[in-house]
Amino acid sequence: MAPSCLFPGVMPLLLVLHWKHGAVSPLPVTSVNATCATRHPCHSTVMSQIRSQLAQLNGSANALFILYYTAQGEPFPNNLDKLCAPNVTDFPPFHANGTEKTKLVEMYRIIAYLGAFLGNITQDQKLLNPSALSLHSKLGTTADIMRGLLSNVHCRLCNKYHVAHVDVAYGPDTSGKDVFQKKKLGCQLLGKYKQVIGVLTQAF
Amino acid sequence: MDIYLHWRQPSQMVGSKRMRMPSNFRWLLATFVLLHLLNQVNSQKKGTPRDLKCTTNNLQVWDCSWKAPLGTGHGTMYKVCIEDRPRSCHQLEKTNIKIPALSPGDHEITINSLHDSESFISIFKLNEKNVSLIPDTPEILNLSADFSTSTLHLKWNDKGSVFPHHSNVIWEIKILRKDSMELVELVTYNTTLNGRDIVHHWSWTSDMPLECATHHVRIRCYIDSPHFSGLKEWSDWSPVKNISWTPDSQTKVFPQDNIILVGSDITFCCISQEKVLLAQIGSKNCPLIHLDGENVAIKIHNISVSENSGTNVIFTTEDYIYGTVIFSGYPPDVPQKLNCETHDLEEIVCSWNPGRPTALVGPRSTNYTLFESFSGKSVRFKNGEVPTNESYRVCFKMIPSQEIYNFTLSGHNPLGQSESTILINITERVSPHTPTLFKVKDINSNAVTLSWHLSGNFARINLLCQIKINKANSAQELRSVTIKGVENSNYRVAMDKLNAYTMYTFRIRCSSETYWKWSKWSNEKQHLTTEAIPSKGPDTWREWSSDGKNLIIYWKPLPVNEANGKILSYNVSCSSDEETQSLSEILDPQHKAEIRLDKNDYIISVVAKNSVGSSPPSKIASMEIPNDDLRVEQVVGMGKRILLTWHPDPNMTCDYVIKWCNSSQSEPCLMDWKKVPSNSTEVIIESDQFRPGVRYNFFLYGCRNQGYQLLRSVIGYIKELAPIVAPNFTVEDTTSDSILVKWEDIPVEELRGFLRGYLFYFEKGEKDTSKMRGLESGHSDIKVKNITDISQKTLRIADLQGKTSYHLILQAYTDGGLGPEKSMFVVTNENSVGLIIAILIPVAVAVVIGVVTSVLCYRKREWIKETFYPDIPNPENCKALQFQKSVCEGSSALKTLEMNPCTPNNVEVLETRSILPKIEDTEIISPVVERPIDSSDVEPENHVVVSYCPPIIEEEIANPAVDEAAGTSQVIYIDVQSMYQPQTKPEEDQEIDPIVVAGYKPQMRLPINSTVEETAAEDNMDKTAGYRPQANVNTWKLVSPDSPRSTDSNSEIVSFGSPCSINSRQFLIPPKDEDSPKSGGGGWSFSNFFQNKPND
Repeated sequence: MAPSCLFPGVMPLLLVLHWKHGAVSPLPVTSVNATCATRHPCHSTVMSQIRSQLAQLNGSANALFILYYTAQGEPFPNNLDKLCAPNVTDFPPFHANGTEKTKLVEMYRIIAYLGAFLGNITQDQKLLNPSALSLHSKLGTTADIMRGLLSNVHCRLCNKYHVAHVDVAYGPDTSGKDVFQKKKLGCQLLGKYKQVIGVLTQAF
Repeated sequence: MDIYLHWRQPSQMVGSKRMRMPSNFRWLLATFVLLHLLNQVNSQKKGTPRDLKCTTNNLQVWDCSWKAPLGTGHGTMYKVCIEDRPRSCHQLEKTNIKIPALSPGDHEITINSLHDSESFISIFKLNEKNVSLIPDTPEILNLSADFSTSTLHLKWNDKGSVFPHHSNVIWEIKILRKDSMELVELVTYNTTLNGRDIVHHWSWTSDMPLECATHHVRIRCYIDSPHFSGLKEWSDWSPVKNISWTPDSQTKVFPQDNIILVGSDITFCCISQEKVLLAQIGSKNCPLIHLDGENVAIKIHNISVSENSGTNVIFTTEDYIYGTVIFSGYPPDVPQKLNCETHDLEEIVCSWNPGRPTALVGPRSTNYTLFESFSGKSVRFKNGEVPTNESYRVCFKMIPSQEIYNFTLSGHNPLGQSESTILINITERVSPHTPTLFKVKDINSNAVTLSWHLSGNFARINLLCQIKINKANSAQELRSVTIKGVENSNYRVAMDKLNAYTMYTFRIRCSSETYWKWSKWSNEKQHLTTEAIPSKGPDTWREWSSDGKNLIIYWKPLPVNEANGKILSYNVSCSSDEETQSLSEILDPQHKAEIRLDKNDYIISVVAKNSVGSSPPSKIASMEIPNDDLRVEQVVGMGKRILLTWHPDPNMTCDYVIKWCNSSQSEPCLMDWKKVPSNSTEVIIESDQFRPGVRYNFFLYGCRNQGYQLLRSVIGYIKELAPIVAPNFTVEDTTSDSILVKWEDIPVEELRGFLRGYLFYFEKGEKDTSKMRGLESGHSDIKVKNITDISQKTLRIADLQGKTSYHLILQAYTDGGLGPEKSMFVVTNENSVGLIIAILIPVAVAVVIGVVTSVLCYRKREWIKETFYPDIPNPENCKALQFQKSVCEGSSALKTLEMNPCTPNNVEVLETRSILPKIEDTEIISPVVERPIDSSDVEPENHVVVSYCPPIIEEEIANPAVDEAAGTSQVIYIDVQSMYQPQTKPEEDQEIDPIVVAGYKPQMRLPINSTVEETAAEDNMDKTAGYRPQANVNTWKLVSPDSPRSTDSNSEIVSFGSPCSINSRQFLIPPKDEDSPKSGGGGWSFSNFFQNKPND
């Protein structure tokens, strides 16, 4: 697995992720001590929304995983243990027994990681499987929910814990890889996503 | 090389003289000489240069070499001289020499070797044919590989500059694989030498990815020079060049993301450091081909088409799966249905169908390019433009002033390309856009202006536009107009010949005048034209009121196309020769007026008015011309129409009017009327008001001198239906064999057609038990009478049975069918005379028979008596009575039977165990007479002792035919106590004790004629002798009602009854002889005549 790094292709996607709903401004890249501010105050039910979004993602993660590996053709559905094993290196860690702040920060990293990679998968699948509309739709819906979740987490971190900056890492870029590697990486990541989203849902 | 070899021989030769010698000697001498000569030759060979061989690699210089003489080494000098050449001798120390190529033909070459002052000379004859052309070993300049395409590129120099002539060269290239250098392919490659050094390029595509194994290449050549007649040989193989892929740390599978044609063969390999356990394509396992190290390959034959995401090929190791994806598809099909047209003469739209799917999508899909050859311009088709209906479109900007376009559409994908062309004149392929801004504007009541906008530069062409005009209750009208095209402008056209005050709907579409395609229809535009004066007066009719004093004028509302506007009112006036009377204005929608008129002739005028003006007046005369010859006819319509015809009448100068009304309607009767020209002879009347089954009256009027005369009166139906009620019928009269039925007419409203007759059904049947059976079933009991005379109102049904219930059914029918039934049950009267006769006749017959029988019997009584009842012999003369002697010993005289008054006798009855009546002799034992038969033959307990009281006499009859010695036959007369059949039920009989049943022993006459038989008969007398029954004894009653003991005896004490006993006194007819002791015999019964004759 290639080491995590910021790829040029992912940055615009992240900007879009943060600008999409206008609820939050882009994460400042200034010093950690910089003042954190959001365009609008967080809603009082933001944690409830976060839980709801996590539950929504958790509820659809397995269907997305199945839809994905089915669309990749044989022998993916019959070799999930080797082709789609969730052994993604450099995946952001999560400690379920931490404080809410640390959990939110770690979840922020995870969702940012997953959101970026989901964008890459979506792009790959549109070229590879242009007629798999249900897969595209499911990927798009998941990405939308992740954007909202990221926004809410950011709002919570910023308003309650005054966290203005979180270092994030992104998954491997698939643009230069061969088709089989793209398929396999996507499958592994969605398997990991299915696994970790369950943990996150339990933790909140 | 063997070349022509000469050597210089010492001049001494064997003399040519021949000497005569003996033959043996001569043979020895010849052998010696031959051996000497061979020795000489060998000694010469060993001492002279030999085996001269010449080769060339460029056809210009021959490289000749020879073998040095034996025993010579360094220091040997050779002098080589070539004949016919100036300065052709060369002094050299080595054993080869390069000489310019010699001309064709034999050349003598002398090689003189000088060694240690010895000189040996060899002469060779050299010819080009003996020279070998062996090209120089080629050298591979460069060997490179394109791993993405698995192609090797080879580069080498042919060194053609050294060859003086053009020569064909054959190159042989050897491809070797793996470290073991397995030959993969041996390829020949032909080139030509043209006097210059040329670097050749040759490529070879491997069926296996080059990454899979090291590939080695060698090359050699063969020059086929036409100018060289010598031997041509292959050059040596060049040094090996190889290509290998340097793997990185990762395991890889090759080829990656390859695109191949469906049905191809392809090899995949896995460069691995681990042992590969399994290879799969899709879900199918493939056999492994082992390469160097742990590398493996699989070969796929005839690969099938891939899914969109490609076909996965995986290699499985212990821990991981490595894989690649192959995209198997087709090259683009020839674009089909390529069509180019323009909507606006500004842009050309070309569309096509891609044909067979390539199965390649995304970046591997087909790219199309539309190229126009005259202008040299082209446009590309983008994948994102693919519509859902599988038709591709691309737009090409038109070139100003260019009308002819030659388009070539080419499609290409990684597997190939295809193209399609089309040549068009774009002005003939105009399919305009849909007209917009469509408007309608009034010109007058009969014309409007239509305007619309059409985007596009149509200045170069004329437009053909089609206007669809719809109006209510009218057929659609299409009008076409041709207008000069303009650039992006509005168009206007006038539409005339429209009706006033009519709602029209307009739509328009356009095409070029040369017509290629119509545009779509524009939106609908509704428009109401303005009003105009009504064009005609209303259609008028008149009727006199029922009292004949008022004239009612009717008129119809003007049709829309004649009203030309909304009719507001009507003006009605009547005029005579003297005056004109105008009524007040009658507002629409009233369409009748009533005028009180006398019987003078008036002309009635009706005028319709709308907002623009008044119509011309409609006139009608009030008087009606009488017609005395008028008949009422019948007619039936077809569908909803009725056809009336008449003969042409030249007297009718105006027109004909047909009016009609419902026949049940009261006067004045008018539903509608219709006017037809005077030259008509028929009319079809059609009205939505007509209903099937309703009778209508039709009146045909002819117009003559402005007066109408009733010509025909017709009643009719547009369709006849079956009656809805049954005729009401009653029974007027009933006799024992007939019924008179009477019925009433059905009202016209309920008849619903012209009455054609009645069906009368009748059958036997009770009201409660007889169910109505289907009349159509043709039941044989049902009788039908079809009454077609509709004036008949009664029917007498004859030939019926008396006192019988009949079911009567009556139905009326029209041509529309049968009406409902009405049924009735009627019972015919009883036939009393017949009954009386039926009783009297059998009685009378019985009486007559009885009388006749009685008379006959009376008159034949003597005969009967003699026949059936002969005289009984005097018992006193019967020897049988002498048995008394033996019984009463001491009595020597015959005595008559002494009658003891009412001395009870015992009758011993032998019981029979058989249920069936068994014929046995019956022995009656008198108390005063001892039984002659041993009583041991009968079981005492089986005897039934019956008290017997002979009412009159008891006689003992001797059989006269039996000899005394032969024994006696004892006959005992018993009383027959009953002359009638017992009344006991059969069931009761069966319950009677069998002993009792067997109590009666029927009499029968024993066969005693033979002496032998007598003995036997005597032995079995108690079983076989006695009375024989004339009927089934089981049915007899054992106790006679008139038996003295019949009432007081129990079942065990029974009397014997016999219907007829030949020995019974009571059956005997008393003889005429009054002396007969039996003359005073007992009662006689008539039934005795029917008994069998005794002793038969």
